[in-house]
Amino acid sequence: MIGQRVRILILLSIFFIPSFLYAQKKFTISGYVKEAETGESLLGANVYLKETLKGTVTNAYGFYSVTALEGTYTLVVSYLGFDTREFPILLNKDIPLNVKLASTTFETEEVIISAEKADRNVQSTEMGKEKMEIEKIKALPAFMGEVDVLKTIQLLPGVQSAGEGNSGYYVRGGGPDQNLILLDEANVYNASHLFGFFSVFNADAIQNVTLTKGGMPANYGGRLSSVLDIQMKEGNNQKFGAEGGLGFVSSRLTIEGPIKKDTGSFIISGRRTFIDLFLQKPFIPESSDIQGNKYYFYDLNLKANYRLSDRDRLFLSGYFGRDVFNFRSPDSDFYIKVPWGNATTTLRWNHLFNNRLFMNTSLIYTNYDFEFEGGQEGFSFRLFSGITDYNFKSDFTWLPQVRHTVKFGAQYIFHVFVPSNASAKSGEVEFDLGKVLRQYAHDAAIYINDEFDLSDKWKINGGLRGTFFQQIGPFDRFIRDPIKKTVVDTLHYGSGEKVQTYRNLEPRLTVRYAIRNHSSIKAAYTQNYQYIHLASLSGVSLPTDVWIPSSDQVKPQFATQYALGYFHNLKNNTYETSIELYYKEMKNQIEYEEGFLPENSVNDNVDNNFVFGKGWSYGAEFFIKKAKGKFNGWIGYTLSWTNRKFADINRGLTYSPKYDRRHDVSIVLIYEITKRWTLGATWVYATGNLNTFPERLYVLSNGDVVQDYGEQRNNYRLAPYHRLDFSATLKNKPGKKFQSSWNFSFFNVYNRYNPYVIYFDTEYNEDNISIQAKQISLFPFIPSVTYNFKF
Amino acid sequence: MKSFYKFIRSVKSKIAFWGATVVLSLTSCEKNVTVTVPGAEELIVIEGYIETGENPFLVLSRTLPFFGTINTSTVFQQTIQGAIVTIDDGNIIDTLDQIPGIGVYTTTRITGQELRSYQLRVEVEGKVLTSSTYIPAAIPLDSVWFKVSGTRDSLGFAWAHLTDPDTLGNHYRWFAQRINKYTFGDLIGRVKDSILIAPSGSVFEDKFINGKSFDLGYQRGNFRNSEKEDDLNDEKFFFKKGDTIVIKFCTLDRAHFEFWRTEETQVSSNGNPFASPAPVTGNIDGGLGIWGGYASTFDTIIAK
Repeated sequence: MIGQRVRILILLSIFFIPSFLYAQKKFTISGYVKEAETGESLLGANVYLKETLKGTVTNAYGFYSVTALEGTYTLVVSYLGFDTREFPILLNKDIPLNVKLASTTFETEEVIISAEKADRNVQSTEMGKEKMEIEKIKALPAFMGEVDVLKTIQLLPGVQSAGEGNSGYYVRGGGPDQNLILLDEANVYNASHLFGFFSVFNADAIQNVTLTKGGMPANYGGRLSSVLDIQMKEGNNQKFGAEGGLGFVSSRLTIEGPIKKDTGSFIISGRRTFIDLFLQKPFIPESSDIQGNKYYFYDLNLKANYRLSDRDRLFLSGYFGRDVFNFRSPDSDFYIKVPWGNATTTLRWNHLFNNRLFMNTSLIYTNYDFEFEGGQEGFSFRLFSGITDYNFKSDFTWLPQVRHTVKFGAQYIFHVFVPSNASAKSGEVEFDLGKVLRQYAHDAAIYINDEFDLSDKWKINGGLRGTFFQQIGPFDRFIRDPIKKTVVDTLHYGSGEKVQTYRNLEPRLTVRYAIRNHSSIKAAYTQNYQYIHLASLSGVSLPTDVWIPSSDQVKPQFATQYALGYFHNLKNNTYETSIELYYKEMKNQIEYEEGFLPENSVNDNVDNNFVFGKGWSYGAEFFIKKAKGKFNGWIGYTLSWTNRKFADINRGLTYSPKYDRRHDVSIVLIYEITKRWTLGATWVYATGNLNTFPERLYVLSNGDVVQDYGEQRNNYRLAPYHRLDFSATLKNKPGKKFQSSWNFSFFNVYNRYNPYVIYFDTEYNEDNISIQAKQISLFPFIPSVTYNFKF
Repeated sequence: MKSFYKFIRSVKSKIAFWGATVVLSLTSCEKNVTVTVPGAEELIVIEGYIETGENPFLVLSRTLPFFGTINTSTVFQQTIQGAIVTIDDGNIIDTLDQIPGIGVYTTTRITGQELRSYQLRVEVEGKVLTSSTYIPAAIPLDSVWFKVSGTRDSLGFAWAHLTDPDTLGNHYRWFAQRINKYTFGDLIGRVKDSILIAPSGSVFEDKFINGKSFDLGYQRGNFRNSEKEDDLNDEKFFFKKGDTIVIKFCTLDRAHFEFWRTEETQVSSNGNPFASPAPVTGNIDGGLGIWGGYASTFDTIIAK
């Protein structure tokens, strides 16, 4: 009897020993981190337990979740520019904890917090990721007084401007279509106004800007080179307010406020140019040459959000922007009209399943279109191009325990492309330019990603993204005779009929090895596929560039990137430094065939005019940043090479694309002299762009001089580009309800005539003809003033 | 009406040009610069034609360095004499005679005919250049006339009615010449146009107009550096009441059409900073230039 009891006891104790060991259960602290003053969610706030230094960062909606063994802890919540808060926690049950942070009133040199975890750049596995502070962006010199988020990211190493006056950019040797731009989860296809001089983003409406250029995690995909993730502000859910500004080029107004205090809010933000209103009656006489010309653009951002319950929150946001350009030539009857614009609408639902599982589901509509109409003497021609997306996506964040952050989700987009639809008529006769050619495609992805601590020294961020792209009918494929290049046959696909399918897996891996407290080595390996492409013809970025899908003729672009970096923080995280090396291989790159002219694509598929090849780029990026204190800024230097090789271009020999830029330097300084005065300065230097120049010429019997380009593409490099800008901002006394500031910007302070383009003009001088090279420079020294207000 | 093709061709560069001009005129600057284009060797250029009812002729020359000065004498000096030029018309292979003193070659033993191919072979300085051209069937215009333009009272364009055959692959070129004389001004008594002139956009194909029967009109072309009064004042581009206009309307093969199409694109983008490089596609193997055939028909308009 006793023996049996002892046996049972022993058996029971064997069973219970493990549970005794786990009797120390795990509990979760979770909640949202927001700005105290406005209720805006804070993305990327550090939330960690002081005792273990383990924690997480808030996601795009401000949500965090920290799971630990039962016990007593101090929870630290910190965010740059805000006062850090600590909470004593007795963790013997799940604790919901929403945190409000107040913005710091003074920036001091030393931030005295023990066990500070501001060394995020060293500790995280993120490589090639940079989050821009909107307030810092506003303190920098602004071209013509327009604060521009896209111009500011071009000041980071590895990101290169497409050229003066362009908003497009190149990241690590990739073309401008390889950058994904998201505004509240919606794709923005053309992020430029005014022929590329300004971007569509109104900084007053923006809360967060994050650029990822390497080590792209599995939740992002669809582009090879980078992701620019922009979140709009949610709107002050405490009280009403307005802010805005008046400038030379455009003026802005933002109105925000609560729908219900602490529960819901809205924000409406608009910007428009005003010059055009002055260039017509009654200011300009009817007969003037300027009549009939107009240019204006506007951006409108709208957003509303409402917290339905502790677990559910709804967001509705939209962006609508348009450029309108009308021109009438004074001496001939020639006129052109070019309207273009983007519209995006997003409906999002945040849902907390439990305190460790967060979900965001979005329904998104995106549209980009441009139109060109021109005519003369009763003849008119109209070209239309656009892309429309219907997008569903669902993203989950699961934090089972503090060592793991798991993200998984799925996305589906239905694309409708109109690559180019042209119509023309002369008087009453319509020319046959073919029917409207639309292309349709399904674009889907699922992914899973885990960031976990293997040990104290090793942290791994690994993921897999499975992507699927299928072009479907109705679609007509025009088959060309390979020699005569004329269309000889048409293959017709019915509605919904499959034209071409692509299925791919994209592994993503980043590893961080912590050397000491403030340094680490990181390595990344990523593979990406890109299914939609931008067909660009001219050297100047025009809204006439056309988006096209992968098809039976065009394979998806594919890139493999390897990156290695050393990250080191100095002086208690006051200085962040890093060196990153990268090597990127790109396949199925697309160019128009040599000698292509726009009318070739009428009554034919646009993608019948492409040739394909590969590219590769490699380089080193050096970066020093001082993020805290009155005097801050950064210095970035990139040394890089980019190459391409196409069988049908440059006789199949390797050549450098236009944007092969050997050296790229950016120096950014911001100095808060007093509470009222802030000075800013930027200096940029870039190796000149490559151009193709003709090599020789000959004269025909009709007197025409013909230039021959030879066979070497991009044989000439323009002079280097460099420029210094200053800015000064004067704020009125802080603490008053009505805040205002004057911003003075000085662009190109030493007035350098940077080459924008070199072209050749044939000059006739009696019997002599000669060719003269001419260089156009865009912007000399330009001062500007902007008045900003907020209440 | 300006030619459809000319219009589309200049479309993209025009919008960029005019659009950016508005902004650039406010702030930009332009200056002359010296550019050293990396060393490029001389190539050989052939410009040769064979037309229905006419003897072929051909100019053989060298390319010129990019930044040199060009005038009539430098062009003469660049022609190459003493080459062996042969044409095979399917019946005979004829060696052309060189005109003394200049690199121009011709023959009386071959005359251009419709629906025939002509193979060219040029042997010069140890190099061999070859080419081939085909003269298609001639397609005449249905009718031609002059029409006053818009609200003007005596200026207008030359118009024609064309029916394009239903098969794809027809290419056309338009020339016009005013054979009447000036009745006042500096050039009184001189014939207005000494030769046939192809205006800008003179070549087009039937890609968009296949099988259609339609009206087409052309502006008056002029020599590029012409300093004649009526090429500078408001008569530029226009024909006038009282003009006698000879229209030469030709068909040509694809390669010949491609040469003029790319040549006109390049020339029309001259001086436009936003044009992409527009290379000219020739049909000479081993060199640059064109060996082209024409099937020509003639009409005359008396502008009333």
